[in-house]
Amino acid sequence: MQVVTPDYRAGEPPHRFAPRTGQTVLAPVEPELAPSHQVEILYRLSDPALSELGLEEFLDELLVRVRDALDVDTVAILLYDADAHELVARAAKGIEEEVEAGVRLPLGQGFAGRIAAERVAIFIPDVDHADILNPILREKGIQSLLGIPLIVEGNLIGVLHVGSLHPRTFDQRDLAVLQVAAARAAPGIERARLYSALEREHRVAMVLQRSLLPKRLVDVVGVQTAARYLPASDEVGGDWYDIFELARGRLGVAIGDVVGHGVRAAALMGQLRTALHAYAIQDHGPARTLELVDRYVQSMPDYAMATAAYAVLEPDTGEVKIASAGHLPPVIIDPAGGRVVEIAPSAPLGAFSYGRVQEHVLSLRPGETLVLYTDGLVERPGVPLTDSMEELVRVISGTRFVDDLVRVAVERMVPAGRLRDDVAIVAIQNTEISDELRLRLRADPRVLAEIRHLLRRWLRHHGANDSQTMEITLSVSEACTNAIEHAYSPAPAEFSLTATADDGLLTFVVRDAGRWRPPRGQDRGRGLTIIRAAMDDVEVNSSDTGTEIVMHRRIAR
Amino acid sequence: MNLADVQFSDHDRVVVARLTGEIDLSNAESIESAIAESTPNHALALILDVSALDYLDSAGIHLIYKLREKLRARNQGLTLVIPAESPSNDALRLAGVSAVVDTVQTLEKALAEFAEANSGRAEVPNQGPV
Repeated sequence: MQVVTPDYRAGEPPHRFAPRTGQTVLAPVEPELAPSHQVEILYRLSDPALSELGLEEFLDELLVRVRDALDVDTVAILLYDADAHELVARAAKGIEEEVEAGVRLPLGQGFAGRIAAERVAIFIPDVDHADILNPILREKGIQSLLGIPLIVEGNLIGVLHVGSLHPRTFDQRDLAVLQVAAARAAPGIERARLYSALEREHRVAMVLQRSLLPKRLVDVVGVQTAARYLPASDEVGGDWYDIFELARGRLGVAIGDVVGHGVRAAALMGQLRTALHAYAIQDHGPARTLELVDRYVQSMPDYAMATAAYAVLEPDTGEVKIASAGHLPPVIIDPAGGRVVEIAPSAPLGAFSYGRVQEHVLSLRPGETLVLYTDGLVERPGVPLTDSMEELVRVISGTRFVDDLVRVAVERMVPAGRLRDDVAIVAIQNTEISDELRLRLRADPRVLAEIRHLLRRWLRHHGANDSQTMEITLSVSEACTNAIEHAYSPAPAEFSLTATADDGLLTFVVRDAGRWRPPRGQDRGRGLTIIRAAMDDVEVNSSDTGTEIVMHRRIAR
Repeated sequence: MNLADVQFSDHDRVVVARLTGEIDLSNAESIESAIAESTPNHALALILDVSALDYLDSAGIHLIYKLREKLRARNQGLTLVIPAESPSNDALRLAGVSAVVDTVQTLEKALAEFAEANSGRAEVPNQGPV
């Protein structure tokens, strides 16, 4: 069996060191000296799965086994902090106080400090008469101590020591057992420590990634949206999605995938998402927006590459303008089925100087859903991409609501267990216009524009001409403004809007839970004037429970 | 999301504020103060160009009246540019705004009117404020 390390095996002869009071330096012993029944207990420590447990669990397991094997009262591990040049109490059994107190010991002094500095095993038969630094050892009533260094590939990892509450002579067989434990433990600790470090980086990247994705999706009346992001198991990637409102009731939807993994990819993702959003709200349109993001990537000092797709939906007409920079084709799901929409992608962002991006026009009819996704959703070893894209269409066809669609896509397409790549999916649905509109709306001025866009669609659906649409939209918006204005601020509140059509006669009811507010100031109350002028008739019913504005307008016979 | 945007330009001490997008309860107040702040004391007048505006309702009309009050207190004029076919003309017409505020169909006409008033003043310096 391999003993601790060459360093330790070839340790300098004990007499070279200045003798310290009560300390006996022991030379390494042959591992064969360790009684087999004691070694048995430690064998299980070599289980490589232990390194996956993380440092905490691993050390806990190790200490229990060492204590049982040697029948001692205390076991402790101090890990070497190379930056501080100190030993830090990390795990203990029987002297937990050492860890709780966060004991730090300088290298070269006392019991553990000397073991670490000189890389030798030290035996202390009588603690009361020995040179030790850590008062806790004495306070606990430990009588005898045995400690050895933990070394991996010539590097000091820490110190492992055992103690007895009654005077005990640790002999060569005990040392041999402790050596076996150290040999088993040291690489495990190193692995676990590495694993913890990776874990930490993973967590940092995750937090970064999460903070860079939208906290909540835009809530637009008349359009349903849903999105999901799943990080890869080992490393976060650079996938992102974004949904934002644009002028004139249009909606921007973006998805992207930065080449690479880890914190850097996540940070780059954040930059690209921001750049795309910033260009998009300047109304550049999908192709030009992606071209500008490409220029942005080109201007970055470090090499970077990403794929992205960006679409702008005009809910009124269902027109979708879309551009793709090397990204996977979108999918459109309709009530009867679905299809992969083959649009010729342009080059990825950052691929060529002055890359040109092409724009495509699609139609998203009411009830249809546009789905954008990253390769993590469809890429599987040994399966052609076109096959798994067809499978995606198959599994999400028939889902009626975007929330279900996104959930089903992830459940059915993402294999259980460890995720090799991160996954992003975003879906927007142009809501089907029903014969009646029944909306519950938050009493927030920002919903007004959304109401108008939805109302225009509804009016067109019922055959209103342009000037009728304009006048009715104006009147209903005024009534809603009124509901929002006198609604019970500052608490969040709601109001309702219903619109019904009966043989060319349209009826609109706006109802809130507030009191009708008499017009204030000479310029107010203009809303009602406008409604009266634009509608055939208007009725304001006010009661203790709320206010209701009922409006009629005939648009055809 | 900003529903509306306003761009300013200066034409010989006449400030032109050109509005785009939609004006309603959600943004009327902040737009009103943006315009008021961008009209300096030494300006002769403000031209509010709403011809490219997609939507305007009573909140927007309220904005116009408030602006008119503020400008009047500083002895500054206000002219509204609004072509007949503009989408926001509906609310203005239904609320009878043209009876209260000077309204012209094009920006050129508004600027020409102010230029004429200006040159008139230059020739007769002792006439005092108009």
